[in-house]
Amino acid sequence: MSKISIPLGPQHPGLKEPINFGLVLEGEQIDKATVNLGYNHRGIEKAAEERTYIQDIYLLERVCGICSHSHTTCYITCVEEIAKAEIPERAKAIRVLVAELERIHSHLLWLGIAAYEIGFDTLFMYVWRDREQVLDCLELVGGNRVHYAINTLGGVRRDITPEIKAELLKRVDILEARTKYYTTLATEETTVLARTQKVGVLPKDLAIKLGTNGPTGRASGLARDVRKDEPYLIYDKLDFKLITADTCDVFGRVVVRVLETVESCKIIRQVLNYLPEGPISIKVPWKVPEGEAVNRYEAPRGEDIHYVKGNGTDKPERVKVRAPTLANYHAVPHMLEGGWMADVPLVIAAIDPCMSCSDRALVTDRAAARSAVWSWEEMRRNGIEFYKRRGVDFSKVVLK
Amino acid sequence: MSDLELEERLKKRLEDKFGGDISEFTIQRRRRLWLTVKPERLVDMMRFLYSEMEFNHLSTITGMDLGENLAAFYHTTDQHTIITVRAKTPRATPVLPTVRDVFAGTESYERELEDLFGIKIEGLPPGRHYPLPDDFPPGQHPLRKDWKLTDAYPEPAVKEAK
Amino acid sequence: MAIENILLALFYVLIFPGIWFLATYGMTLEWVDRKLGAVLQNRVGPPWFQPMADFIKLVSKEVIIPKACDNVMFRNLPYFAVAGVTAAMMMIPVWNGALFSFEGDLIAVIYLLTIPTATFFLAGWSSTSPYAAIGSMRVLTQLFAYEVPLMLALIGPAILAGSWNITAISEHFARNPAYMPAQIAGFLVAVLALQGKLERLPFDSPHAKTEIVGGQFTEYTGRLLAFFNMAVSMEMVVGAALLNAVFLGGGLGLTGIGAFVLFMLKTFGVVLLLVVLRVLMARIRIEQMVNFCWQILAPLAMAQIVFDIFLKIRLG
Repeated sequence: MSKISIPLGPQHPGLKEPINFGLVLEGEQIDKATVNLGYNHRGIEKAAEERTYIQDIYLLERVCGICSHSHTTCYITCVEEIAKAEIPERAKAIRVLVAELERIHSHLLWLGIAAYEIGFDTLFMYVWRDREQVLDCLELVGGNRVHYAINTLGGVRRDITPEIKAELLKRVDILEARTKYYTTLATEETTVLARTQKVGVLPKDLAIKLGTNGPTGRASGLARDVRKDEPYLIYDKLDFKLITADTCDVFGRVVVRVLETVESCKIIRQVLNYLPEGPISIKVPWKVPEGEAVNRYEAPRGEDIHYVKGNGTDKPERVKVRAPTLANYHAVPHMLEGGWMADVPLVIAAIDPCMSCSDRALVTDRAAARSAVWSWEEMRRNGIEFYKRRGVDFSKVVLK
Repeated sequence: MSDLELEERLKKRLEDKFGGDISEFTIQRRRRLWLTVKPERLVDMMRFLYSEMEFNHLSTITGMDLGENLAAFYHTTDQHTIITVRAKTPRATPVLPTVRDVFAGTESYERELEDLFGIKIEGLPPGRHYPLPDDFPPGQHPLRKDWKLTDAYPEPAVKEAK
Repeated sequence: MAIENILLALFYVLIFPGIWFLATYGMTLEWVDRKLGAVLQNRVGPPWFQPMADFIKLVSKEVIIPKACDNVMFRNLPYFAVAGVTAAMMMIPVWNGALFSFEGDLIAVIYLLTIPTATFFLAGWSSTSPYAAIGSMRVLTQLFAYEVPLMLALIGPAILAGSWNITAISEHFARNPAYMPAQIAGFLVAVLALQGKLERLPFDSPHAKTEIVGGQFTEYTGRLLAFFNMAVSMEMVVGAALLNAVFLGGGLGLTGIGAFVLFMLKTFGVVLLLVVLRVLMARIRIEQMVNFCWQILAPLAMAQIVFDIFLKIRLG
């Protein structure tokens, strides 16, 4: 049979964000796969150099929508290390709390997406319905569903009141029960097993060589978790299991993620019961001394690493962000080759890719630059003109 | 300094092996070591770290504009300690060797160095621009300190259109 | 040849049980499918006129035809699909007896029902897009997988009734309802194969959107896509009606409104089964589908046939 080469992305229903895979197919089987990145550059690293440390927190939160807390925590740990600020224990605990809520939110989101990729829409709908619980928790703690912005220089922005604590404990119980149900479902349903077992295999030695990390690496038997290996915040005081699987396939990645979600529920309960009294933030001078720091953080998708260099002013000299997904990309062609076309979306989804995280480092593109110059009025006028040409007149609509 | 015993041991091993090629060796705190190595010994050092010291994970490569020099910081880790290896190269002719032979999954980090800092990576196969767009003006490297947004994208003629 | 005969034939083809009835009932069943699926998935689901609205919207949209494709074939295939399904409906009894009934019409119906599948394949192939090409290859692969179990499953009742005539088979069951429970394995095989024929989950890999975008319909737009969608909805009606006639005894000897209501109820029941199947499972790969059909469905259908022959010999 002759070989067909087909593009997968940057726009494709199986992908949530822009990335391009070039696939060479022999019938239904993949002969060769290549990965192309770089469709989503926003120039965040350059932009971070032009803003103050405080502004950068909110900028870096926008590196990624799902692991927004991961990036800011990692960054702020570096900044506080340079500024030699020791933040209160209560602030650390709240950071861990939000981090684990975020992990649950991210893993459930992923489980839903994985189910969608294999056409199991029912699981997708159910998981995303229950994910609302954790989003509500995050809203309760941070005031927002996705960009909670709980971190600030020297601590956290909001405290946990006893009412919030009670509500969180209640919802975590629901989440844990539901997650346990999904664990059984995802590990026992025949069609799910048929689609995930022996799919996208990444042997352990290759996983080490390619620098794979996070749940993707742990499913290949790499016992790597920054929370255990190099405990930050209060992780050394918490009791939780490092989940690994040795099946090296997509099934292992499913198991690792759902079990990690259960562990996160346990951590949240421990943190809420531990929560020491005291202030939630300290004052840190806006001018951060010269110095550099590099720190790692276990984001839901894997190891996140930030490097920050201060130059004595209120703006950083350099901020480097490496999101977990970027380290996992190079494993994907290895997982795909020799596999089935039908498994491509699932295998790609199984590393839980986050394109925005990876492609953060560039300039605003021309179209964006132009629209930034447009004022609101101009945009509105342009919109009205656009629809007038098509026979609809919106000019009478009054904006309140 | 008893709590930095492990770090001192790591330092000694590296100094025994590479001696004069290492400069600016600092133990910043527990689990953080920083050093500079001559670019021609970079790959040797990476290989030594990978195969003999179990620093088998290259977390990332940070590019740096130091004024006179450009630099790349290789953050290697054994999951407990981060050893950051700095390699400097003159701004006029920036060249560094590739470490892909040691750490296989580093292609995108090295392409970033090429695109954003203009450091030529020897041994990197030709490929697409990453992460810059394909039509980005050649010879411009956004993360260098002297680069401005208007260099690549001159102010669009929006004001005239008003 | 009187003018009345021609008018009557036109009525059959265009109104009942032809295109109008099929389209209306097909859209109703499509809504049932979507609404029920939504409820089972804890969603709200569309209002009752949604399939109709979708159809009207698609018909009013621009038709874009790729330059590289075969223009004539590309344009006409959707109508062939609709025509094939409608022709099959003419031979299936809605209540007392089919319109055009002859010995061997069961075989004719099976062949007529492969016409839409063949047009899907040709549609994908003539689109020249890689996604459509892969989709159409899968359509064909899947056809070879489910067609044999479906045929084998339908043979069982035919053997029992001693006739290849659908009306005769359903009358046979209406006379001897005790035979019906004995056909449960064959019925299950037929339901699963029908699910494959309708390309619904878990057998929807020919147009699995996360893999190959729209599969064989990737390049189809506007009116042409609307007619393809309608053909699929109609095929669901015909498939359910066929199962009703062959396995469930058709009108069970009733006539008039009673039989019609019974027909509606039983086709509803078949669609219900199809919906539950769709909701409960993940999409399986095409090679797993082939293995499943050949290793499980086909032997099961064979066993049913052997059982039916035994039954026939014992009970005369």
